Amino acid sequence: MDSIPALTIEDVANIDGVLQDYLQKSESDLAVIIDKGGNVISQYGDLEVMDVTIIAALAAGSFAATKELARRIGEVEFNALYHQGNGSHIFMNSVDDDTIMITVFGGQTTVGLVRFYSTSAASGLANVLRGLREKTSPGFQFSPSDIRDAHLFEN
Amino acid sequence: MSIINYASKEIQFKIVYYGPALCGKTTNLAYIHSRINPDNRGDLVSLATAADRTLFFDFLPLNAVVIKGFKTKFQLYTVPGQVIYNATRQLVLRSVDGIVFVGDSQWEKMEENIDSFKNLEENLAKQNVTLDDMPYVLQYNKRDLPNIAPVNYLEFLLNNRKKRVQSFEVVSSTGQNVFAALNAVSQLLLHKFSRDSDPARPATAPVALPRRR
Repeated sequence: MDSIPALTIEDVANIDGVLQDYLQKSESDLAVIIDKGGNVISQYGDLEVMDVTIIAALAAGSFAATKELARRIGEVEFNALYHQGNGSHIFMNSVDDDTIMITVFGGQTTVGLVRFYSTSAASGLANVLRGLREKTSPGFQFSPSDIRDAHLFEN
Repeated sequence: MSIINYASKEIQFKIVYYGPALCGKTTNLAYIHSRINPDNRGDLVSLATAADRTLFFDFLPLNAVVIKGFKTKFQLYTVPGQVIYNATRQLVLRSVDGIVFVGDSQWEKMEENIDSFKNLEENLAKQNVTLDDMPYVLQYNKRDLPNIAPVNYLEFLLNNRKKRVQSFEVVSSTGQNVFAALNAVSQLLLHKFSRDSDPARPATAPVALPRRR
């Protein structure tokens, strides 16, 4: 029997606290925490901007795709990536071995400011996530009767 | 595997369509995208070459309320089938929850089918996962073409592990059994995480079962 690791409402509040502080200081629009498989763990900020699920999948891919490039210059992987647009930009940095933080920001701030505050935000998040992994909670399980039967998706 | 977020009441599952080059993985996702209500899905994102070959992956997010009280997001990915892109396939397989293996029914593709299936097992092994632990179903695609192998033969080649899995005769271009396979793998992975862990209760009747003699 498998269970799904669970973030309680309190865990989410802890993560949101770190992200709120980070967005305020860095004057960014949106921060998304994802695992390296592309799953969204938590998000904070202007969520109307885009489809966060797609951003997460593409960001995880982008991060992974540069790993080989990093290896060619003697690194294990890059700790941070920056994609510069005309008006909107994306900055991504490692939180821990399995987790990435994506920051979306516009012309109201600078990449330097985002980069500066992202370091302390990442280390704050790493602490929260480490605490979660050390917890011995059973995770999330559900009963088979909770599952909608048969045809989940209709043709 | 994802983390469940109790604050947003969301669970995410990752399903990967795997198989040899040009077997119809992207066509599967395109068909699903075209048939599902836009309120319940996101955009189909394709990272393809100019010649429409998948370079990195295709991605389609689907929303459903399948577990009482929770929004469930199914993230559908394809891998690039071409042999040289193995590193990319390993990346896409990271934290996968369920797999649809798309086999090409044409006689001349049998070797590629077997190679791709072996490649899937090897790539899962690199994540310390085996197919025995992984919810997966088989599709025998392109059943509308004239030069196809019989289902019995495909079963012999691809479905001869100790634990037999559900398999489907599929025509991904017209959508035949595309949803049957998606529903089957979704049910398998949901039941894997459910409390009783009821092993592989078939959700839909298998379409392409081999004839026993």
